[in-house]
Amino acid sequence: MSVMKTTRDVKGVGLSIPRPDGADKVTGKVQYVADITPRGLLHAKLLRSPHAHARIVKIDASKARALPGVRAVLTAADIPELKRKAPTRAHAVLAIDRVVFAGQPVAAVAADEVAIAEEALDLIEVQYEVLSAAVDPLQSMKPGAPPVADAGTEADTSEALAHSAVAMAKGETPTKAVNVSQTSHVKRGDVAKGFAESDVVIEHTYRVPMVHQGYIEPHAVLAEWDRAGNLTLWASTQGSFNTRSEVADVLGIEENRIKVIPVECGGGFGGKIRALCEPITAILARTTARPVRYVMTRREELEAGMPAPQVIIRLKTGAKRDGTLMALEAETVLETGAFSGTVLAVSAVFLGSLYKWPAFDIKGSEVLTHKPSVAAYRAPVAPQSIFAIDSQMESLARALRLDPAEFRARHLSHPGDPMANNQPWASMGAPEVLERARAHPAWTGREAWKKGARPGTKRGVGLSLGGWLGGLQPTGATVKLNPDGTLSVLTGQVDIAGTNIALAQIAASAYGVDIDKVKITTGDTDVAPVTGLSAGSKTIYTVGVAVMQAAQAARKQTLEIAAGELEASVDDLELVDGKVVVRGVPDKGVTLQQIGKKGNLYMSKVEPVLGAAHPAFSQQAPAFAAQIARLDVDPDTGEVTLCDFITVQDVGKAINPLAVEGQMQGGAVQSLGIALTEALLYDDQGRLTNPSLLDYRKLTAADLPNLETVIVEVPAPAGPFGARGVGEPPIIPAPAAIANAIEDATGCRLTELPLTPERIALAIARTRPT
Amino acid sequence: MPKQILSLTVNDEPKDVLVQPYLTLLDALRDELGLTGPKEGCGTGDCGACTVHLDGKPVASCLVLALQARGRTVRTIEGLGESHTLHPLQDAFVRLGVPQCGFCIPGVLMAAAAVLAEHPAPTEEQIRYGIAGNLCRCTGYTKMIAAIQEVAGEMKGAAR
Repeated sequence: MSVMKTTRDVKGVGLSIPRPDGADKVTGKVQYVADITPRGLLHAKLLRSPHAHARIVKIDASKARALPGVRAVLTAADIPELKRKAPTRAHAVLAIDRVVFAGQPVAAVAADEVAIAEEALDLIEVQYEVLSAAVDPLQSMKPGAPPVADAGTEADTSEALAHSAVAMAKGETPTKAVNVSQTSHVKRGDVAKGFAESDVVIEHTYRVPMVHQGYIEPHAVLAEWDRAGNLTLWASTQGSFNTRSEVADVLGIEENRIKVIPVECGGGFGGKIRALCEPITAILARTTARPVRYVMTRREELEAGMPAPQVIIRLKTGAKRDGTLMALEAETVLETGAFSGTVLAVSAVFLGSLYKWPAFDIKGSEVLTHKPSVAAYRAPVAPQSIFAIDSQMESLARALRLDPAEFRARHLSHPGDPMANNQPWASMGAPEVLERARAHPAWTGREAWKKGARPGTKRGVGLSLGGWLGGLQPTGATVKLNPDGTLSVLTGQVDIAGTNIALAQIAASAYGVDIDKVKITTGDTDVAPVTGLSAGSKTIYTVGVAVMQAAQAARKQTLEIAAGELEASVDDLELVDGKVVVRGVPDKGVTLQQIGKKGNLYMSKVEPVLGAAHPAFSQQAPAFAAQIARLDVDPDTGEVTLCDFITVQDVGKAINPLAVEGQMQGGAVQSLGIALTEALLYDDQGRLTNPSLLDYRKLTAADLPNLETVIVEVPAPAGPFGARGVGEPPIIPAPAAIANAIEDATGCRLTELPLTPERIALAIARTRPT
Repeated sequence: MPKQILSLTVNDEPKDVLVQPYLTLLDALRDELGLTGPKEGCGTGDCGACTVHLDGKPVASCLVLALQARGRTVRTIEGLGESHTLHPLQDAFVRLGVPQCGFCIPGVLMAAAAVLAEHPAPTEEQIRYGIAGNLCRCTGYTKMIAAIQEVAGEMKGAAR
């Protein structure tokens, strides 16, 4: 595929067009799952384990069942299809005999009112035998640690496949430790020799805690069965077809018996890909023969959602005095919680591939602990891995007294260079992004800006670069011409961030009509062509291609019909202002309305125009972002004030610049949250100590400056109109950019996130003479 | 527990509903009055998605008991604009591309309207603190601030 051009300029690709459902979103008219209340609705609640690891001795639900208004109380014993060795979190509908994290559901209630369901939970008596818990991943790796998974449970790598399609050799040695669920190992060259010949060797261990995706709408689902045994799910999901597959697998029914209606999704960021509460809600609805709705509380989200893994990376790097990179050695530990499912290989790719290391040895382990199992969070494992490698590059540059940005540029991989897995880097704009960031006044003017620090505060400027390989997934779309000459586009794509308007713009430009003639619909799983996840920064990159090809097919059919009507060759036709005309003869033509109408007339011989496309292509489009942070540090309190924050990002082609900016700004703040404030904190028994949004601290409008965006366009060869993924790159660089800026201000290198005032003040205090 | 009669004014209309004494104002609006614009994002007053105006002041409706609103005036996002015309803030939010997932937006708009009612010519800091109780995970707030500033500027121009 080449970057395509349209026959003439239509109002489509490249314009900042507000999303058409904006008015419904600002008036409260848009309906999320919790807003939908069918007649006869029952409300579900789950009883969750207070212990991270315990044997269930006995459950007595008789008092709960006797409470008026309670319609069903279920335990694992009531659900024969549950598997003892649950391969995924979705399969662990209710705990059988043993709980493996605090917050794991052990019983479910459906009742007439939420308050009755909550009262019923209090009446269920569960007797636990508390077992010792594996809470720290480094301890959990050791022989003799309390086992998390049931013996024989397979590692779950589907998340890695869905996100990034990273080909990678798995670890070759069988693992001995009971809680190591996956390993990976990549190496090149002679690392020992590289370190021996290095003038500077730096070693740090970087730690990033579990963080929550933080979508404001908690998980929610509504389930209802018909008498024929068909299930309808109204779900807050990032992928209705994936939800359908997972629920069908757990329930053991055919996929075409399940209709998933993708209701407006109040944010997902990777946390609403995998099924979580859909199976139990469906089972309660089946048991009661009533519609059942389940909405998680915020406390449940924080205690028992699917957060990002804790990542611990020991990184050792060596370089010669002249700045030549020599060797890199890394050991990565990803804490996956109670079920396997991290994107282990992605971390190794970023540690070993972003800069050109002649020798590297990167080992990775996925480790089970007695905590909630993890899932994707916007560019899973990339912010954590880039925090490590980019902090390390900064440290090397400073030790060698080299300009840190120039040092990165000198060693940065370019398209065609081998990645750590020996595949070549595809077309990507990392060099251009770094160059634009280095030329930004916030960077070039940094020394002058730092001189303006208020007395008693220290100023620093930091820069970081990170990227994402870009996900892939087969997907489908149709474009049809209506009898009035307008177009209807259909996909199954869940639109969270405003991707539908961009897809409509692609259809408009590819067909050759203005955007106001195009309407796009997200269909349910019964009517829409199979469509992939809204994840992996691949909606525009893959669904955009499907829509583009479907629109091109519809255009071709349209022109062929017109050629017959006009008795002309297709090659001599053009589409101008809703009319197909013979080139150079503008008054000889047939309107789209006439063509559309003939395709819908009784006894007509003209086929209705219906373009369909279902591409499955294999070329990834890596996308990079650089971020620059300018900040003040109070050396006594460690308080950081962010003064300026700039995101420079290669988007290939900005289909809708307004929406692209929104992605860049939102991603930047999530990145800053990982850097500065966010952490799920557990006690030594594996219980969450900050299960509220008061104590799990997200950044607010008052914490932030305006976020500047700089769009760079290096076309992706296979992307629609050159577009590449936009969603994930901006969440990646900020932790390193902030840590680099703090080092610039204070001289202290911090390696553990979040960079709280306490950590910063303690680091500064340690440098002072006692 | 026996239900009690709650009489109040919602979006300029008098309403009488039967509520349990423990019901929150948020649940009464959503479940009894069918106004699902206010959202529950946390239930503990930390996220601001349930923000409504009670006697003209912004409150987290998940922290107010429905019966505390007896005889008082409530305005929700459904009553911010006219039935066929968007409020200037709503219009600016759409034009400037603020909403992404949209879940926080009703609460943010009610908070923003309260900022403008209190400060007709607000500083950026007043706007930022005025919506600091409303968490948004999609937008990074930048476009929100710009939209609120634009409306504040228009109001200032109109008042002249």
